[in-house]
Amino acid sequence: MRAKTLADSTKQSTQSLYIQKLVIAYNGNKTTEIFMEKVHTTCIYCGCGCGLFLHVENNRVIGASPSPLHPMSRGRLCIKGWLAGEFVGHPERLRHPLVRQREMFVRVPWEEALSLTATRLKEISRESGSESVGILTSAKGTNEENYLFMKLARAGLKTNNIDHVARLCHAPTVAGLGYAFGSGAMTNPISSLKEADAILVVGSNTTEQHPLIASYILKARARGAELIVADPRRTQIADLASIWLAPRPGTDIAWINALQNFIIQEGLTDEDFISTRTEGFEAVRQAVSVCTRELSERVSGIPAKDLKEAALAFGSAERGAVVYAMGITQHAAGTDNVQALANLVLMTGNIGREGTGLYPLRGHQNVQGACDMGALPDLYSGYQKVDLAREKFAEAWSTSLPEEPGQTALEMLESALEGRLKGLLIVGENPMMSYPDRTRIKKALEALEFLAVCEIFPTETTDLADVILPAASFAEKDGTFTSTERRIQRVRRAVPPPGEARAEWKVARDLLRRMGVAADYSSAADVMDEIARVTPIYGGVAYDRLDLKGLQWPCPSRDHPGTGILHSEKFSIGRARFRAVEHCEPFEAPDEEYPLILTTGRSLYHFHTGTMTRRTSLLEREVLQPTVEISPDDAKRMNIRNGQRVEVETRRGSICLEARVTQNVPAGTIFVPFHFCEAAANALTAQALDPKSKIPELKASAARIRRAKG
Amino acid sequence: MKVLLPKRNLHLLLEALDHRMEVVAPIRAEGVPVFASWRGQPLALASNPLIPPQEFLLPQRDVLFRYVQDCGRYTFEKVSAKPRLIFGIRPCDLKAVAVLDRIFGKDPLDNPYFDRRRSTVLVGLNCLWPEPGCSCAAFGAGPEVDELSDLQLTDLGKNYLVETGSPAGVLILREHPEFFIEASEKDQAEKKKALRIAGEKLRGGTSPSVIKAAIEKADWDALGRQCLRCGGCTFVCPICHCFTIIDVGVPDGERLRCRDTCILSGFSRMTSGVNPRKSQGERLRNWFLDKFEYIPENIGLLGCVGCGRCSRSCLAEIDRQKLEVLR
Repeated sequence: MRAKTLADSTKQSTQSLYIQKLVIAYNGNKTTEIFMEKVHTTCIYCGCGCGLFLHVENNRVIGASPSPLHPMSRGRLCIKGWLAGEFVGHPERLRHPLVRQREMFVRVPWEEALSLTATRLKEISRESGSESVGILTSAKGTNEENYLFMKLARAGLKTNNIDHVARLCHAPTVAGLGYAFGSGAMTNPISSLKEADAILVVGSNTTEQHPLIASYILKARARGAELIVADPRRTQIADLASIWLAPRPGTDIAWINALQNFIIQEGLTDEDFISTRTEGFEAVRQAVSVCTRELSERVSGIPAKDLKEAALAFGSAERGAVVYAMGITQHAAGTDNVQALANLVLMTGNIGREGTGLYPLRGHQNVQGACDMGALPDLYSGYQKVDLAREKFAEAWSTSLPEEPGQTALEMLESALEGRLKGLLIVGENPMMSYPDRTRIKKALEALEFLAVCEIFPTETTDLADVILPAASFAEKDGTFTSTERRIQRVRRAVPPPGEARAEWKVARDLLRRMGVAADYSSAADVMDEIARVTPIYGGVAYDRLDLKGLQWPCPSRDHPGTGILHSEKFSIGRARFRAVEHCEPFEAPDEEYPLILTTGRSLYHFHTGTMTRRTSLLEREVLQPTVEISPDDAKRMNIRNGQRVEVETRRGSICLEARVTQNVPAGTIFVPFHFCEAAANALTAQALDPKSKIPELKASAARIRRAKG
Repeated sequence: MKVLLPKRNLHLLLEALDHRMEVVAPIRAEGVPVFASWRGQPLALASNPLIPPQEFLLPQRDVLFRYVQDCGRYTFEKVSAKPRLIFGIRPCDLKAVAVLDRIFGKDPLDNPYFDRRRSTVLVGLNCLWPEPGCSCAAFGAGPEVDELSDLQLTDLGKNYLVETGSPAGVLILREHPEFFIEASEKDQAEKKKALRIAGEKLRGGTSPSVIKAAIEKADWDALGRQCLRCGGCTFVCPICHCFTIIDVGVPDGERLRCRDTCILSGFSRMTSGVNPRKSQGERLRNWFLDKFEYIPENIGLLGCVGCGRCSRSCLAEIDRQKLEVLR
């Protein structure tokens, strides 16, 4: 009976199929010229830099799919990538320039918004000095945009107060690896990972935060490579590892030094490499010799047996690779942590060859590019130091340039609190959510005389702005992104921006003109031509050369094919530098009052402050609300059940959210993702800074937790 | 009806059809074959695009209707499907359309799907170049088109042998006689020979029974731990059709039907937070069981056509045929 009904309905539907099509075939009339196009571009989310197609119909993005020939994505994407097009057409996009009038935002023409921004910043600069204004630019923007905002700060506002979110992620890498190797970038292409015999992953939740990179690590693992993961949380990649080390947050140097001590004791160092390619090893040998197994066990909580096993596995590998992310950098000892890992790869000779190397995984799709473009207070594009390159840029831009290095992101906000910084332009950043100690950040932004924010969506930061400039999203503009493996790739305009929104490079160009700096760019390609002229590592980059595979810098000339593996023959500084580092306790150790260590991070399904992913329906559904992860032991002790609302408190503030009792965090540690404005993790974190790179310690704060009232 | 289409006439035919309907065909974008609107570009028929042409019947995001509020009352604007012709669909993907027809054709009929389906002319292309990982033959989905194409083409070197599969196909041939020449028995024999060779290339591939056996003995817990939860398998599958419905915009806006994926936990999670498919392994297993047990039970056709796309786009590189745990 059932089969019959089915057959009937199928027949019916098939019959009616014919009729309609007959009409079309006989008398069809194509009235509209609407096309379905697939535009090849680069993903907007993490630093993997996947190539994807945006499916465009009727000027709308209706889907996304991976590029099968792309060197990174190879026909694959993570869930965020597959859904990358969804937020683009969201109705909440900012469509018109807005200006605050009393407590209301009023729509104004672009001309007015731009003039107001330029005039106010100039006025403040004239009255209070050029160090009283600054720009926070964006790791979400293109290279061209970051370059122009860098130029705007230096040539337009005559200040080196320019920084961006790299300060909160890989500033220690730029500083640490810059010192050790002469270049603060990933040493090898990602594909090199699959050739490794041993991979040490430190403080990186790779399977969730860089899923495509994880796929290369897992390829090596399937081939038989040893996978060693160090993370306080039992993440998916920790679960798949052959050795999982779970250090107490903020004790990395203790165990990394002990690991090196084991390697030295076992005679697994590469003496040849050390003597011909490096300098300063003796000091490190002495420094790590005091890091005994007992000491490291006591400090980090990692059993010496596991650490020795890891040392043997990594030390004896023909090709060893070290992958790290925020778990290493977001500490008050961030730069030293990075150096400790650099020491490790140097003493084992794991650099400059296929399958080896040090892999800092960068969080944003273009945080590498934003650093490359000199959106940093002490460097021009291509990591040219402010003091050394000032004259060169002054000549190239035909203007005078400021001498003193500027302030870093958090220093700028600190100055704002003290009334020294008065005008700020924020481009595509949401410090209210992503910077530590939200209460303090809010006070700082409110203390400003003038705040302009260029954004794609209303955020907690635009709420505080005097002028809001609506920006084009990645699907609505041309440009380039540089991925974490230094691969410079095209971003293409697939659809027009909503309303009056504009690409940020146009905003920067127009502001430059208003400040009397020549800015004759008619396209993003023109900007890249200028970048290539003044930036040796990008010297050979031009749009006509950027095909599907892009180009990996250094690429000094038009005929240069780009560079996959760095430091293969020699280091740019001659010999690589060892530097002995010592463990020091995190800024805030747990105590009677605040007995737990709070660590923060991301979820697979959300990205940073959730501006884009929380407007993507499947991602939002997957992780609807913030939760705090707590170990069963702690939960039992504090009488907290799974799913119960709890209050997490630190010396800075408190938030209320649901508890998730899980084996994945060790006793004594709790974890809160920072995507959610309703329970902002950064209301809790501290502003303790690494003295060398000025990165705040986001990964370890003393906290307490209790059942929420009511 | 059987005729020959000289290859030089193919573009002319598509151009002529382009006046009546939007022609979609595999073209190259950045060197990659993709289904997209054809605007005179060279066709890319050598390999099957990663994203199947089902995206035109069941788009990743489809506007069901627009809602507009006016003086407290809502009015709804329906969007009607455009006339379209999809050229160069492989037998496996056509078979998958047959499966979707049955799924969406079950009472009550799914109107948004059939709106598009009815206004889409399907032109099949017999598959003479199976790729590694292809196993359509064992799944009854190739290498020859046997399902509901309006026209089916076979590459015979200089010409395409064109056969009609529906009245609409006949009409297209009749409307454009200038592009076709007569076919002979010899051409038919040539087609058979070419398909026999293609069939031989497909030997040794996997079969439904092999996969069913693999499902039985797979270690789902371990596979679930390796799965990177990208949903790629469900997004490239020509039969996967699950969707979710969202309203975007207040007070005016659109009701959208979006592709969903059972690989996400939110897909099966209840409002209370309870999830009948708790672990990733269970979700992965459900995906397989759906294709090899539930769909066959419901509609009498297998829920897999052996196109091999799921293996090609699996981020964790889980072999979808052997289901072996990687190390």
